Amino acid sequence: MRSRRSFLRDLGVSAAALPLIGGLPSLGLANTPSSGKKHRLIVMFSPNGTLPEQFWPDEEGADFTLKPIMEPLKAHKDSMLILHGLSNKVRGDGDSHMRGMSCLLTGKELFPGNIQGGSHTPAGWCSGHSIDQELKSFFQSHEDMSTRFGSLELGVSVPDRADPWTRMVYAGPNKPVAPIDNPYHVFEKLYGSMKDRETLQSILDDVQEDLRRVRSKISTEDQSLLDEHATFVREMEVELANADKQKLLIAAPELEDGVSNRNDSMPKLAKMQIDMLVNSMVNDMTRVSTLQFTNSVGNARMSWLDIKEGHHQLSHDPDLNEDSQSKLLKINVWFAEQLAYLVDQLANTPEPGGDGVMLDNTTVVWTNELGKGNSHTLQNIPFLLIGKGFGFKTGRSLKFDKVAHNRLWMAIAHGAGHPVESFGNPALCEGGPLDLA
Amino acid sequence: MSRLSTHRSFVSALLLLFGLPGLGFAAEDGVRLQRGQLIYKQQCVECHGAQGEGVADEYDEPLTGDRSIADLAKIIHKTMPDGSEEDCVDDDAAMVAEYIHQAFYSSGARMRNQPVKVDLVRLTVPQYLNAVADLVGSFRKDVTIDDSRGLEANHYGSRNMRRDKHAIERIDPEVDFAFGAGSPGEKMEAEEFSIKWEGSVIIEETGEYEFCVATENGARLWVNDMETKLIDAWVSSGKSREERASVRLLGGRAYPVRLEFFKFKDKTASVALRWTPPHQVEQVIPQRHLSPKEAATVLVINRAFPPDDASVGYERGSSVSKAWDTAATYAAIEVANHVLDHLLPLAGVDRKDDDEARRSKARKFCAQFVRRAFRRPLSEEQERFFVDGPLTDAPDLENGVKRCVLLTLKSPRFLYVGMQRETPDAHDVAMQISTALWDSVPDKELQTAAQNQALLHAQSIRNQTQRMLSDPRTKAKVSAFFSHWLELDEAEDITKDPKRFPDFNERTIADMRTSLELFLDEVVWGESSDYRQLLLADYLYLNGSLAEFFGLDTSGDDSFKPYQFDPRERSGVVTHPLVLTAFAYHASTSPIHRGVFLTRNVLGRSLKPPPMAIEFMDGKFDPRLTMREKVAELTKSKACMTCHEMINPLGFSLEHFDAVGRVQFEDKNKPINASGVYRTLAGDEVPLEGPRDLAEHAATSVTAQRSFIEQLFHHMIKQPVNAYGPETLNKLHQSFVESDYHIQHLLVEIVRVAAMHRLSPTSQTAQL
Repeated sequence: MRSRRSFLRDLGVSAAALPLIGGLPSLGLANTPSSGKKHRLIVMFSPNGTLPEQFWPDEEGADFTLKPIMEPLKAHKDSMLILHGLSNKVRGDGDSHMRGMSCLLTGKELFPGNIQGGSHTPAGWCSGHSIDQELKSFFQSHEDMSTRFGSLELGVSVPDRADPWTRMVYAGPNKPVAPIDNPYHVFEKLYGSMKDRETLQSILDDVQEDLRRVRSKISTEDQSLLDEHATFVREMEVELANADKQKLLIAAPELEDGVSNRNDSMPKLAKMQIDMLVNSMVNDMTRVSTLQFTNSVGNARMSWLDIKEGHHQLSHDPDLNEDSQSKLLKINVWFAEQLAYLVDQLANTPEPGGDGVMLDNTTVVWTNELGKGNSHTLQNIPFLLIGKGFGFKTGRSLKFDKVAHNRLWMAIAHGAGHPVESFGNPALCEGGPLDLA
Repeated sequence: MSRLSTHRSFVSALLLLFGLPGLGFAAEDGVRLQRGQLIYKQQCVECHGAQGEGVADEYDEPLTGDRSIADLAKIIHKTMPDGSEEDCVDDDAAMVAEYIHQAFYSSGARMRNQPVKVDLVRLTVPQYLNAVADLVGSFRKDVTIDDSRGLEANHYGSRNMRRDKHAIERIDPEVDFAFGAGSPGEKMEAEEFSIKWEGSVIIEETGEYEFCVATENGARLWVNDMETKLIDAWVSSGKSREERASVRLLGGRAYPVRLEFFKFKDKTASVALRWTPPHQVEQVIPQRHLSPKEAATVLVINRAFPPDDASVGYERGSSVSKAWDTAATYAAIEVANHVLDHLLPLAGVDRKDDDEARRSKARKFCAQFVRRAFRRPLSEEQERFFVDGPLTDAPDLENGVKRCVLLTLKSPRFLYVGMQRETPDAHDVAMQISTALWDSVPDKELQTAAQNQALLHAQSIRNQTQRMLSDPRTKAKVSAFFSHWLELDEAEDITKDPKRFPDFNERTIADMRTSLELFLDEVVWGESSDYRQLLLADYLYLNGSLAEFFGLDTSGDDSFKPYQFDPRERSGVVTHPLVLTAFAYHASTSPIHRGVFLTRNVLGRSLKPPPMAIEFMDGKFDPRLTMREKVAELTKSKACMTCHEMINPLGFSLEHFDAVGRVQFEDKNKPINASGVYRTLAGDEVPLEGPRDLAEHAATSVTAQRSFIEQLFHHMIKQPVNAYGPETLNKLHQSFVESDYHIQHLLVEIVRVAAMHRLSPTSQTAQL
């Protein structure tokens, strides 16, 4: 992993103090629709199931009490929509983890294949595409909803392997999309050219000096070639200066130097990725994003929580093992805190070029591969929605009875103005989109 | 009075008025030149300009060429002035011819008028790419690619190449396996096994290479960048699939490659590693392009550059443009980012070191980097400017290294060659040698020789050149010369009329190219390296498909072998199927294209563009006419004939070869007439009955030989040969003849001439 600082201090504002740019007209890259509501989708993934007792509110409806895992998010209770009873009903090849991961956003079966899980038949990639990519295509095909990237796939501590446990985003059958878990690469993607610009500007004076010195030593005929060259260097200097003046709505975040992709850096990496995720959305570079923490069967050792055992290992311990249960609780609370960091920023950032805050037009979906770790159940998959996007009526805890989760994805598509007839395996879409409005 | 006599009397009157005193040459010569000049001013200046430079909208080409005075007189007599040819005939025409020949037309006149010098030029695009690749490469370990071929293969009895399940180790010539439902060998089960192939891929020509992994199972491929998979087809669903990805590679080098493969519970197993190199069709990567030794990663710039100026007949960096400056800047950024990403292997800068150590290693790296980029040691001032300055001014060490790299690669000291130092030193010599042979920076050995001042004598220069001659980078550059000489860059995407040539396809043209490359390789790099063989060889390299295409008996297998021909039928490059096919139309031959190619490239005659470009439209002719008859008809006017009387006989001599290089005896049911007469520069007539006559003349013609030398000189040195002295071409030719036309020897001499340019006489006395 590279160690590089952001080179943009001179451009001012750092993300640590995200400006409250109230009422500023949109500049530069910010792109607001002329009509229709803006919608943003962020899907955050954490692995190995949840602890049902500590997660799901007992009550149904608008009056409910948050359980311990959701405590860090209590400030946003009014924006929540908790959906209990949605199941991943995709069957076919692959074990529960593989299907839990690769059929989560797609709602479609895996191809038979050569990758063997802990049980069941070996499988290949998913045979369909994921909901975030569906939305991306929809947005990109409308000028007033399209953005520079369409979608941004981010990760935190994702193993460097491509297999059905590490991929949840699919652009199509057999077309997994890898998350970028190196924040410096993400920075490069979003702001790379700006960084290079700055370094270039720092040496152009010297280049011109060098040209002058060399020129003085050569024949008159040869000088004209160097003179021409020098005019291009001057022109480049002017252009770079102009590009500086062209503003992003907010500056790129300053990244901490030298964070490497080791297990212990997860908290730092998470923060960096979330900062860039929010930043990219303020600058309207994308309206769809996924944030994948590790992978299916992810085995992070959360030493900063005083936990030495791996996450996946703990998730296999029986319910009676109190020590493991308390550790799993800490782990899931930590994930919730990351979600809170994300949602807090969205709630505190004014909607660029519009009214209210970004959270009014965004829905963050926190989900998981399994309902519960040690049983590998694909029933009651955790779905916590926060945000007022897609026209959903929030501030509620809803209970369903073993409903296919495909219907949630359909509801999101419909809410965005994209009335799909089915999503994923059509047989699992009976009943149509969930009514969440 | 007629116009004619008015002129005559006018001239005579002038003569009386301006009788010339003798000026050291025969009064009559002087008088004739004066008359010629007057006639020129009267009748020619309006269209040709006072110095023959041309006039926009009239005749905007300069009046220059290689015709004799007699030829010129004839041409003027027949065709000039344009529209009133009868106004300048007989002796008037002769006098004008004498005048212009001496004043500005001939090459002697041109050399007098505009003495040619070594120009300041920037690196051409290939030179930039190669320099940067070798500059960064010089910080990596040297890997010797020897003669062994194929890839190192390791087999395992598990699906993930577990060491303890290692089964077989061997060298595979190619990767193209169909294991069926069984096991690939001992100690492995049919249900589950994995194989790893490692080594390098050997690249001769710069270009895009599309790699393809074809498998029913799981496979992944790394090429050059060993940290990022080029192709990841690890996860499979048991169906056969092909995945492709392209990568740009520079010729004359080897690149590391690794292919990993596994089968797990699929019904059957297979794997093939294929590629599509430039100008070729997809094929399994052949053994001769694989080595079991793993080369070091090469930095290949991805940024696209605008093409170099080739208006003088060869590519040169004689101009700069905004697009070029931008491309060079982004390329420099690519290099800087690459260096930063690989600071540990390149500079030994480890995150674990303390600040002091990191700083010192970084500084050492930067100083070396600048020194090698500028191809000479740095002065103290230069070290401060290029190394310490950037490192100190930057906010942190990495940024400092980046600034140093950018400043260096954007410096004219890197970007330009031909900067005339007052007294060239050994470093200038080294740079000249490596630029000439490799289009790149000196290697360690050459640098050391320069450091030790050992490059100031002809012999040591020859020794180094000889050593560097066998490097694949030299071969790559010389290969590119032949591509240029034979205009093979035009031979892309050739299609032919499928009705007339149903068995001609992409594969045919790709095989023809391989055939030509094998031939050129053999002639140029063989022991006798004989130029004449290029023109006189009576054999062709053919594989099974090509042999069949040409109606020959094949021995069954598809590898390339030499096939002997009747010497009257085949003679070197002028009758090579690729050349004949490229210089032909969709369904018919093109004597004009072939003739122009032969005139300019092979025989070395100068040819102006036609006064009027006329498209050859087959449909407009009487369908019963042969191609020869059509061409003769089309070019029969006097204006056309000034050049076509030379071009046509040459093109007709190849009429026995159809549009795909196969022998034909009839055209429109009439026997082919390939006979003609070619008039040399000196005025001699060479009868041509067929290709062998043509080739014999080309091989022995001094004009042709000199032209070959000049073209090769331009390609290698990228400066006009006359810039090195008016006798240079003569001396090179003499030495060429004495060496029995040895091409490698010629290369060494060409490099020696350029490298020794302006070296002080004292250093030159220690033998030429």
